[in-house]
Amino acid sequence: MTFVRRLFATWTGFVFLFFYLPIFILVLFSFNQSRLNIVWTGFTLEWYATLWRDTVLVRTLKNSLIVATATTVVSVVLGTAGGWLLHRFRYRASSFLETLVFMPMIVPEVILGVSLLILFVTIGLQLGYTTIVISHVTFCFPFVMAAVQARLAGLDPSLEEAALDLGATPLQAFTKVLVPYLMPAIVSGALMTFTLSLDELIVTYFTASAGTRTLPLEIFGRVKKGLDPSLNAISTVLIAVTVLAVFLTEMLRRRNP
Amino acid sequence: MKRFASLALGLLAGSWLAAASAAAEELNLFAWSEYVPQSVLDGFTKETGIQVNYETYASNEEMLAKLVSGAASYDVIQPSEYTIEAMVKEKMLVPLDHKKLPNLKNIGKEYWGQPHDPKLEYSVPYLQGTVGIVINTEKVKDPVTGYEDVFQPKYKGRIVILDDALEVVTWALATEGLGPDAVTKANLEKVRPVLTKWLPLVKVYDSDSPKTALLNGDVDLGIVWSGEAAILIQEQGKKFAYVLPKEGGHMFIDNLAIPKGSENVDVAHQFINYVMRPDVSRKISEDFPYTNPNVEARKLLTPEERANPASYPPGNPKLSTFRDIGPLAADVDKLFTDAKAKSGS
Amino acid sequence: MRQEATGFSAAAGGPRRAPGRIGWLLLAPLMLWVLAFVLAPALIMFVYSFWERTALGSPVPAFVLDNYENVFDPVYLQIVIRSILYAGITTVICLAAGYPVAYLIGRASPNWRNLLLMAVMVPFWTSFLIRTYAWVTILKSEGLLNSLLVQMRLITEPLEMLYTPGAVVLGLVYTFLPFMILPIYSSVEKLDGALIEAALDLGAGPLRAFSRVIVPLTSPGIAAGVLLVFVPALGIYAVNDILGGGRVDMIGNIIENQFKSARNWPFGAALGTTLLVTFALIYGFVNRRQRATFS
Repeated sequence: MTFVRRLFATWTGFVFLFFYLPIFILVLFSFNQSRLNIVWTGFTLEWYATLWRDTVLVRTLKNSLIVATATTVVSVVLGTAGGWLLHRFRYRASSFLETLVFMPMIVPEVILGVSLLILFVTIGLQLGYTTIVISHVTFCFPFVMAAVQARLAGLDPSLEEAALDLGATPLQAFTKVLVPYLMPAIVSGALMTFTLSLDELIVTYFTASAGTRTLPLEIFGRVKKGLDPSLNAISTVLIAVTVLAVFLTEMLRRRNP
Repeated sequence: MKRFASLALGLLAGSWLAAASAAAEELNLFAWSEYVPQSVLDGFTKETGIQVNYETYASNEEMLAKLVSGAASYDVIQPSEYTIEAMVKEKMLVPLDHKKLPNLKNIGKEYWGQPHDPKLEYSVPYLQGTVGIVINTEKVKDPVTGYEDVFQPKYKGRIVILDDALEVVTWALATEGLGPDAVTKANLEKVRPVLTKWLPLVKVYDSDSPKTALLNGDVDLGIVWSGEAAILIQEQGKKFAYVLPKEGGHMFIDNLAIPKGSENVDVAHQFINYVMRPDVSRKISEDFPYTNPNVEARKLLTPEERANPASYPPGNPKLSTFRDIGPLAADVDKLFTDAKAKSGS
Repeated sequence: MRQEATGFSAAAGGPRRAPGRIGWLLLAPLMLWVLAFVLAPALIMFVYSFWERTALGSPVPAFVLDNYENVFDPVYLQIVIRSILYAGITTVICLAAGYPVAYLIGRASPNWRNLLLMAVMVPFWTSFLIRTYAWVTILKSEGLLNSLLVQMRLITEPLEMLYTPGAVVLGLVYTFLPFMILPIYSSVEKLDGALIEAALDLGAGPLRAFSRVIVPLTSPGIAAGVLLVFVPALGIYAVNDILGGGRVDMIGNIIENQFKSARNWPFGAALGTTLLVTFALIYGFVNRRQRATFS
């Protein structure tokens, strides 16, 4: 077993190297003197300095984080509930519902964006945070649901039964037994959702308004002028902040199990 | 988990409140991304007290898509010339009141009489540019004067061109002696073999940032927007040269216009007039080295800016604007897609 | 009552409890959401695919089949095939490369698990545009990889890595690897450690234990991963555009074009609907196989 573990660990090491190589580059170039993100000309901190003054960039980052957080919360609720309900009960509409749920993952973003835009216009919903979050949730929560379903596929039914036998109410059985069991799936689904939402470009283009611009939209707009390193700088800041937040949460979790 | 949820909801509520508090009078500007300097917008707000909301798009059709869906009301938009033509045909623009645009006199005479809006009834030129040939003079020693010179077998795999069906097709048409107004199904078939000959030589298609491949050294020459070439020349000087093709080049004019559905037509006029002020227009040129149609603003440019051959091409090159080709856009796209796919990869 | 209720719920399929009013009530939010924001837009798109277009390209009520005829035009079919090829290769590589990682994380101790998961996701909290342009910097002729290889004297001339199909596959694998790792991870995590020990103790080499016992047990995760990679990969348009130098057009690019320069929304809608129907069929098929295996 350890041989396999070691083999896999080495491989995982390579994969992480692969993952982080572009990140390393992007962080490195945030200190690049040249305005154009192509050749290294020298070390500077000016891009970080300009970040403070670049209110547009900071505002869009804030928007993106807000949207991503809201999206993750709603997606986790919808996805977990959906995954569990479809597993527990035999609805006649199960297959139909499932297919519908996973459809937004396949529909090309342009179409999703345009059709959602038309829908919002038809029902008179103003473009803004609500519409962005709705569109993000729509193609994100399937990931949570898929993860939850995959995990439920091997659930030992006697687990829940035992809890109920021991006098727990169905609600307690759910929260004290099922949810902890589902945690890995929920966490992986939530991570995926947060990531997807932060990075989302095309659908957001169609469902956002001028006041709710997200970071990917802003970056996409600036590509024309050449990705200047202030974008690298803000990405680095974002990574640093989220990694810090994650570490803190992890530390807290270990202290209060 | 519960705490997390309430935090998220709190954030959401807070941001809703923040978003709700808007200024009294506002202008909704819907323009190309990275094409209107923030300082220009701030200047307008400072002088008039009117807040400008700058929403952006990366293509004319994206702008049209959002406009057509009726999602939001915009006051000023920034279409290219052939889109103006299309929008006028579809009656999507508000006629401009020239009495409210005294600064219109600063616009060069050559911008009147263009096919898309000869009397500037619906639009006002913002910036003009060309699509031309950029050459890395350190790698390309032979003279290159037109499209035919670019697409030679000796440059195979060293060329970058715009990823734009209409552009490439009109270049092909030009080599057959036809202009952008000659886009017909018959002519499209006529240039199919030209495309079949050209495209396998191309290394990179890029409309967003074609200068990247040139700076990378992955390509030695290309056909790109003048603004991109101008930046190359600004950054690397004599290494790059910009040449307008002798068969005839594309001159594009990006304009300001007011879409039907604007609720602030007067303010929109105010903004457009403001942009045509020489000092404001000059600021725009500083950030975006395209050709400035404002004659008075040109007088305020530095000698280096005036001398940039990509921004202000010398001589009297053969240039024409694009026409609206309506439904043929689909055929143009299909031809380009096909030729691209068959060029092998 | 409880006995028969939970007795069969071991599988994703098979008879389960019939939902009472509570069951439907709890499902209501999900149903409403999906009907409103998935079915409705899909119906809109479906209807548009039969319409004609204005000079600007937006849909105009009509009923024509031209758009679907166009879908099967050889010009576009060659691109469909190419997309399937690329998506397929990407999925296979992601599976092969991602499984060991997912397995390792799934079997790791709780402290390591979450950290490793975060480590997988953190790179993807940056804009994919910047990440992809970072790959350009790495792969270009004067880029890092080439400079390194030349310095180590492994090659004399820089390799042409950028703007090739290989670069596109690399970019696709990079984008989709987490989508494969996460579902497999959650499947692995619930594996019974004793079962794995047993499989290995019974004299089967690791390879056998894996192929006969472990991998089949994680098949729901694999199925989810394959679906989450293959299907979205079909609709990709930006990564292949940047890393392939715009030479590797896929279905996603074609569809995007229809809403932009080609000014042909109805055709775009037809392509989208075709994609959707194909997906629904594949999904239904995979789902049925899964249920058959487990019941």
